[in-house]
Amino acid sequence: MALILSKFRSDFIKMILVFIFFVTVPLWISRVGLYNYIALEILIWCIYGMGYNFALGYTGLPSFGHGAFFGVGAYAMAIYQIHWGGDSLWIGLLLSILAGVLAGGVTGMLISHRRGIYFSLLTIAFGQMFWFLAIKLRDVTKGEDGLLNLQRLPANFGLFSIDLSNTDSLYYFTFALFVIVVVMLWFFIHSSFGYVIRALKQNETRAQFLGYNVTLFKLISFTISTAISALAGGLFALAQQSAFPDVMSLHWSGIIVMMTIIGGGLVSFWGPILGVIFYFITRDIVGGMTEAWLMWFGGTFMLVILFQPEGIAGLWGSLSKRFLTGKPALPTVSTPQEAQHEPV
Amino acid sequence: MAFIIELLPHIFNGLTIGLLFALIALGFTLIVGVMELINLAHGSLFAVGAYLALATMSFFGASGFTSPTLLQYGAALIIAPIGVAILGMGLELGMRRTYGKEPLYGLLFTYGAALVIEEGIRQLWSSNDQYFPTPRIISGGMMFGDLIYPKYRIFASIFAIFMIILLWLFIERTKVGAIIKAGAHDSEMVRVLGVNLTVLRLFVFSFGAALAGIAGIILGPIWGVRPHMGVDAVIPAFLIVTVGGVGSFWGSVIAGIAVGLTSGITAYFAEDWSLMSIYILLAVVLIFRQRGLFGKASSLDT
Repeated sequence: MALILSKFRSDFIKMILVFIFFVTVPLWISRVGLYNYIALEILIWCIYGMGYNFALGYTGLPSFGHGAFFGVGAYAMAIYQIHWGGDSLWIGLLLSILAGVLAGGVTGMLISHRRGIYFSLLTIAFGQMFWFLAIKLRDVTKGEDGLLNLQRLPANFGLFSIDLSNTDSLYYFTFALFVIVVVMLWFFIHSSFGYVIRALKQNETRAQFLGYNVTLFKLISFTISTAISALAGGLFALAQQSAFPDVMSLHWSGIIVMMTIIGGGLVSFWGPILGVIFYFITRDIVGGMTEAWLMWFGGTFMLVILFQPEGIAGLWGSLSKRFLTGKPALPTVSTPQEAQHEPV
Repeated sequence: MAFIIELLPHIFNGLTIGLLFALIALGFTLIVGVMELINLAHGSLFAVGAYLALATMSFFGASGFTSPTLLQYGAALIIAPIGVAILGMGLELGMRRTYGKEPLYGLLFTYGAALVIEEGIRQLWSSNDQYFPTPRIISGGMMFGDLIYPKYRIFASIFAIFMIILLWLFIERTKVGAIIKAGAHDSEMVRVLGVNLTVLRLFVFSFGAALAGIAGIILGPIWGVRPHMGVDAVIPAFLIVTVGGVGSFWGSVIAGIAVGLTSGITAYFAEDWSLMSIYILLAVVLIFRQRGLFGKASSLDT
């Protein structure tokens, strides 16, 4: 344990700084002209982004259909409350996660033997399928109207129960889950499992020759990622007190990809968080000035892809390196993909 | 018998849409072949084609809901695809920095471009559906015994078949076509043989874009013109390419028709589920044939 602590000291310092940042947000957010609900939304999307980046950044699975799993989680929570009359927060969230495991597992089984771009195309197809089902299964989902009037169920700990109907208390509950997800992902990534998935991200064929069942590893990693996305979806349903098919569309699946990459998910564990914060803050600021804010966001994303694929985290890394050493930074941490890319 | 008669229009509808989908998919697969790029902005270029056609017709004096003259329509059919090709060139020039990196970067770049184009359309032309009038000669219905069938759809089918044959002749019978085919097979080798790959890519991308634009003009009157129409087109297009097999000309055509027929016939039984049937078709084909019906191994596999 001491060894782990010393080896990953900077990781832990960053982690604690991130936690401190999020713990204090409700205290100052209204003073900087924002509002508490956006903090909750940002935190939920951070969980989603972290889950997504486990597939994209760490396993090299460029999924364009993750919105489906986020949505599946939201619907699990909504169906549990509306159709089954459920009133336990824990069961609701558990069902969200299970729904994500099930939907992601089935999808993963059908597509995880695919690689690269083919994989992306199939995630789009499956994402659209789930989205389509959410719109068309009107008896269950109420179609495009969505399932409304969900309760923010209290967190019942047996001896005592915490009311989450207020946005700040739901925020802190979400924060607790965020901490669990982040710590869990960190340990996944630094376990032997994590080294295998990072190896297969760099070169799948080579990992296969080393004797790893790459399809199975991809399937497991994809399913972990969808389960976390679905958990975020369940929380989103609580926050919005409703579940809509909208978040499952290709459009929203693309937004999480863009957030993750702009933030620097390809090179940094914390990339998705930076990207999510960037998205929501600029949406509120730029969106207040122009209706065409998505155009600006898309344009920013195109520039990031061309000139700064390492995103905000990469930029920060190279700037701080330059600041600390006084030398011009090396072209940041080159992504394993680029470094290992071999023309085929 | 009555059942067949009722089903017939749906089969024809499916065929028309399928042929047009094939046209979109062919542009898409040309770009995939030569550039190893999945162009997610392909649908947006398709939408731009329809909007530019409307703009061209109104520029030449056609107004609102009245039928344009053949001259106005013909002008739109020529000028709009050129406009789309120019936009495509702009995109290709912009994305040059992504060459030599993972194919993922090109995909992401074009996804961003799709978002920008779609929002741009909303800003320029509003989010509302627009009506796409057609010349009088191809409007209205035609009688086949007891059956009335819209003339426009017959025109659209013939036009699509004509374009597909033209495209096939271009690829199979011209020198440029031979270079494109060779480039799809091995672009590095083509460069070694002295072909300017930079120009080839620019040409192929704008050519594929123009094909998408043409399909947009032809599908506009059938679907109605709206900013979102790009997504409705690009998803079937890459499903077709995946079903037909990347890089296969007739694979795309056959898969296009199969997809059109599947959705058309499903629409007869359950209107709401016609889109879903396409995805099921995709799943079935991919379970039995990894690279689609006629696909060969390509660099996109890895």
